[in-house]
Amino acid sequence: MVSPIYILILSLAIGFLLSVIDKTNRKFSLTAFYGVLTFNVLVIADWFYRFLFLGVPTLTINTAGFRAPVSINLQLGVQESFVLLFTNLIGLFAAIFLYKKFKESNISSLTLYLILIMGVNGLVMTRDLFNMYVFLEILSISTYSLTSFGKTGKSLSAGFKYMLAGVTASTFFLLGVVFIYYFSGNLNIDFIQASQFTNYGSIALFLLSIAIFIELKPFPANGWALDVYEAVDSGIVSVIAVVNSAAILFLFYKIMPILPERFLNVFGIAGVITFLFSNMLALKQKKAKRLLGYSSIGQVGLLVASLVFTANAPQHLIYLIVGGFFINHLISKAGLFWLSGIVKHENISDWNVLRGNRSLLILFGIFLFALAGIPPFAGFWAKWELVKLLVHSKMLFALSAILLGSLFEIIFLFRWFTLTVKSDIAATIPRWDASKIFSTSFLGVIAIFFAAMIMKVYYGFSLIHILPVLAVLVIDIIDFLPSKVKGLLSLLAVLAYGYYIYPFESNIQLFFGIIFIVGSAVNIISTLNRTGKSEGFYGFLLMMIFSFGNLIIATNYLEFFLTWEFMTISSFLLILRGKQAQKASLMYMIFSTAGAYLMMVGFAFAPQLMGNSPLVISLANVQLPLISIILLSIGFMIKSGSLGVHIWLPEAHAEAEADVSSFISAILLKAGVFGLLLVGISYVKFAPSFDIFYWVGWIGVLTAIVGAFLASFQEDAKRLLAYSSMSQVGYIVAAIAMVSHLGWVSALYLAFNHMMFKSALFIAVAGIYYRTHTRNMYEMGGLIKKMPLSYITVLISIIAVSGVPPLSGFGAKWLIYTAFISNGWYLQAGVLFFASAVSFLYLYRIIHSIFLGQLKYEHQDIKEAPVWFIIPQYIFLGGIMAISAFPNLIIKPLNKIAMHYFGSSIRIDGYSIFSELGHWDGHVVMLVTMGAFIVPLLILLLLVGKTQKVKQFNIVYAAERPESPQTTHVAHNMYAHYRKALGGWGKPRIWNFWHSASEWTHSLADYFRHIYTGNGQTYVLHIILYVVVIYIVMGV
Amino acid sequence: MIKQVLSLVAIVLLAALIFAPMLINTPLHTSLTPLANYYATQGADDLGAPNLVTAIVVTYRGLDTLGEVTVLFIATAGIGFLMGKKKKLITPKRPASELLQNGASFLLPIIILFGVYIFMHGHLTPGGGFQGGVVIASGILFMMLINQDWSHNVFLFLESFSGFFYVTIGALGIVLAGGFLDNRILPLGTFGTIFSAGAIPLIYSLIGLKVGTELVGILHAMRGEE
Amino acid sequence: MNLVMTLGFLLVIIGLWAMLTQKNLIKIIIGFSIIDTGVHLIIVSIGYIKGRTAPILDASVSVADAANKIVDPIPSALVLTAIVIGLAVTALMLTFVIKLYQKNKSLSIDDYQELKW
Repeated sequence: MVSPIYILILSLAIGFLLSVIDKTNRKFSLTAFYGVLTFNVLVIADWFYRFLFLGVPTLTINTAGFRAPVSINLQLGVQESFVLLFTNLIGLFAAIFLYKKFKESNISSLTLYLILIMGVNGLVMTRDLFNMYVFLEILSISTYSLTSFGKTGKSLSAGFKYMLAGVTASTFFLLGVVFIYYFSGNLNIDFIQASQFTNYGSIALFLLSIAIFIELKPFPANGWALDVYEAVDSGIVSVIAVVNSAAILFLFYKIMPILPERFLNVFGIAGVITFLFSNMLALKQKKAKRLLGYSSIGQVGLLVASLVFTANAPQHLIYLIVGGFFINHLISKAGLFWLSGIVKHENISDWNVLRGNRSLLILFGIFLFALAGIPPFAGFWAKWELVKLLVHSKMLFALSAILLGSLFEIIFLFRWFTLTVKSDIAATIPRWDASKIFSTSFLGVIAIFFAAMIMKVYYGFSLIHILPVLAVLVIDIIDFLPSKVKGLLSLLAVLAYGYYIYPFESNIQLFFGIIFIVGSAVNIISTLNRTGKSEGFYGFLLMMIFSFGNLIIATNYLEFFLTWEFMTISSFLLILRGKQAQKASLMYMIFSTAGAYLMMVGFAFAPQLMGNSPLVISLANVQLPLISIILLSIGFMIKSGSLGVHIWLPEAHAEAEADVSSFISAILLKAGVFGLLLVGISYVKFAPSFDIFYWVGWIGVLTAIVGAFLASFQEDAKRLLAYSSMSQVGYIVAAIAMVSHLGWVSALYLAFNHMMFKSALFIAVAGIYYRTHTRNMYEMGGLIKKMPLSYITVLISIIAVSGVPPLSGFGAKWLIYTAFISNGWYLQAGVLFFASAVSFLYLYRIIHSIFLGQLKYEHQDIKEAPVWFIIPQYIFLGGIMAISAFPNLIIKPLNKIAMHYFGSSIRIDGYSIFSELGHWDGHVVMLVTMGAFIVPLLILLLLVGKTQKVKQFNIVYAAERPESPQTTHVAHNMYAHYRKALGGWGKPRIWNFWHSASEWTHSLADYFRHIYTGNGQTYVLHIILYVVVIYIVMGV
Repeated sequence: MIKQVLSLVAIVLLAALIFAPMLINTPLHTSLTPLANYYATQGADDLGAPNLVTAIVVTYRGLDTLGEVTVLFIATAGIGFLMGKKKKLITPKRPASELLQNGASFLLPIIILFGVYIFMHGHLTPGGGFQGGVVIASGILFMMLINQDWSHNVFLFLESFSGFFYVTIGALGIVLAGGFLDNRILPLGTFGTIFSAGAIPLIYSLIGLKVGTELVGILHAMRGEE
Repeated sequence: MNLVMTLGFLLVIIGLWAMLTQKNLIKIIIGFSIIDTGVHLIIVSIGYIKGRTAPILDASVSVADAANKIVDPIPSALVLTAIVIGLAVTALMLTFVIKLYQKNKSLSIDDYQELKW
């Protein structure tokens, strides 16, 4: 148990001696240097442990043998030791990162670095205002000097600008301190009260606080900081961004108690503005380090804001929110800056060199995801709790600004990520040295450790909720195995998982369990066609499937939302695997995140849940406020690709790998449906006076029709199917929005049906793509003879989609029209009916263009799709046939499920289903239709004796023999005339809208960032003006 | 032009809104603050130093002073770091004039002695380690002017060890007296004499040496090179 | 309102004007030095009490009535530290200018804008 003052003493003593030690041997000075840094960490860690686990009271260290305020005193408590532990750790590892440079550089750099860390320790511990000034100057001066570590011309001018800004801030600081002494007669913050500063006295507090605030780089008085981030050596800049900022932030925290509340509120808002604008301006940034600079500034703004906004929250929440953001910022920012030192390329598009090293790429992902607030990293939890807090304290302006800023952050971070993972490698791979990789990896471990601590210790999540992440870890370990082995293991894991969660508390869970788990299990079979190792694929696939399952067993909002985010991130990573999927996956991520933020706020507005039953049960007794319903519905509709927010959907489906698309379309979209149903469950009992679901219903209907039209105009088979999914889910959304018994029965029926036929179709198309290497339907044709099994799948499936008897789609359509009409939604029913007609267009197109017509030359030797594609197709076909012939298999349980919430509106008698409008007997329909086919077939076989087989190319077309038979196959731009008929309606208005929204934001960002002229003098002017403006706003 | 106007606006607003009210609302105190009163009445008994400013600087607020020495130290280090290794010092075209040479050699011992006097008597009279150190450094500046270069290593060692002993004596305060930088590790002695006030003269001497050598270091680093 | 403090604020304003309008790097640093000096004057003026003497106990100021005879010693102690820190910062800034000049042969702040946006 070493008194923390020895940290300062030892650092100084060795610091003073270092240049003499170095006269003997650099080895000795390096040993002393790293020894002291390690000593600091150990002492602080020891104290941190004592404070946290042994309940040791806060330590006060008096100097000079007198008590404060006569002498200066230091204080070390749980907060101080927490901050110091991490700043010293990062300091130590940054030093290890810089080992090579320290070995070669002037001894002064070691001295400066050591004293810098000493300055941080002193700054955090001291309670005396003037002493803070001294330590702040120690910190600043050593930092100024170290900016020239790289010794480029750029870093010199950046360092000079830094100094100009720094001295301006410290002038205000000094003035503030002495005037505080004038008014209060004290320099020790424990002996100063806000009440001592009557009327003009508060100017003294203002000067002090604004000086610290400027050191925290508020927008727009922060151009100097950006230049420093860009120009300075990445090891040093990580210290500036992380260690210095943390210390100054803690300084701000220390003086908060003596500041009047109106000051704090203004600072909080200024922090939010900084967060919003920094992230917005970062959108235009291409240089990695400057980008990280913008992001750092933004994060610090967020930290200030959360410090201010959580002031009255319970202690543990403050620790989680502020501590969470703090750790998150520390780890991810230091890690990314260090990576920039390893990569050594300025432009973010050159970061793809990371792909040369798998572990570095993983680290990059960890830091980036942590920064973006993706679970399970600390930032996610902090954001969740902060949103809840802001909602409860009605700070909606701050809330929306923070969420908008976070969205910008997601955009540039994930653009960076997708570019790194997907762009062509052009740059060369630099040599990497071990000390750098060691330090960076250490941070990755810390990030994961904290994620685990928060989940296990703070929230006490059970293993099942962490399972999605564990799956990734486990698969990562066995990733050297061939993909078939991993595929089989995954299949077993999914089945075991299904068995584990099986005894559900309600039938609706069972129903979605079948869609999510059984559907996924069958879909996994198609992935067995993969050869090689498919590194990283099965981990994220399992993560996604387990997330689906966890959605249905979630018992509170957080579990649900956490799982939802797991699902989003894993599906994003799966989509990203597609060859051309960079833009598509980015768009998916942006829309999903926007949806997730809306949901987060929606949940924050929702009343607390009682008990421990799954959401499908407990929500039935909870009245969601209108705002919750609106936000949650939008969030879920984004995921299910509703009109207006659907533009991610076709891209993601089309560009994902062939076997991934079926998961996304058939199962992922159902997660959105499930979410909407959750809202509906509360809606049943507690419909708000404003019938929002009426409009949700309309959106569903319009989605159905627009999706059908769009599908008809696609050349790409997968895009066609994607729009078809959009259209079909539109039906489901509309049916759920009816909030009636028949509506829900039909919605669930349709959902189940869609899961099966869309899986079958996507896998069939995957098989065709596998053989033909094209997704453009006009490049195919006549494949019926080459791929008969696939043909049968597509034929049966499209019959099931179209709602033509005898297959299951007919029942679905019958139910849904009955539901609409009995609900009085006649117009909607009419539009849907029209949509069904339109869907014939694309359904015909897909079978016509691919299988009928003339075979292309290059496809002469094509074979049937591989067996791994055929098996799942036929399992799904079996399912479709079963529920077509015996609709009771599914209608009966669905009837029961819906009766849980409504009185029954249908009667089931034998094979017949009666509604108030009529009845339908699937069995009879099946028999009659089959009869209608079989009887003529028999007649033909009996009556027509001799038949002649026509060779495929034996054709005469319009009385002439075409030179090339393929030309007779009209497949390209097949519905040109319909498109013409649509006229102006055919324009991609929604896509244009989002596109221009994006352009507009980017050019706005470009406009704003021109305030950073690069002139140091202008930056000082910004600071002075900022001080004046804040002064006026605060009304000191 | 716009920048000029904005600068004017910024400064006028700063002066009118912040500085002016500050100035108007801070009349001179008419009595000591309670803290200053404590130093005035108890300082002599506590530490045995007649110069209360010294008592505050070296002991009561000793941590500030250690920090201050550190600031100067890292500024020196930073300057050395920035300037980099000297390739070759400029040799003046002609040697310093005889007047300068003789004057400097004559004045040097006196200046150094004066510097030493100042920091030795820091606890009794105005002045102290910083002032003494600056005086010593100005003496060394003379030496540099007449181009009589001393090995910089001497100063380097002096600087390092004076700093090291300063910290060590401070740490001894924890062991032998009330806390870090407590001057009462030595007997307080007779009030008003040179060997009194505990370790203050010792500490101030070390500070003087340290400051002097640090400033020499700055001078050394900033000397022109070819 | 007192004269020394007024002078101090005046110096701060003059120095600030120099920092914001002068193009020459050295002049900007001089501006900072003026500001710094102004701040030091302000600090000293805060401790001043009319008609009193320096806080040194000697023949003219006995320990007993020191409290009524001396000015506040604390600002004097603070200003000492502030001066040294100001000196250190000024020296470091000048070094930056030396290096900048060596590299780019220019002393105008407008020539150092290559980092921006």
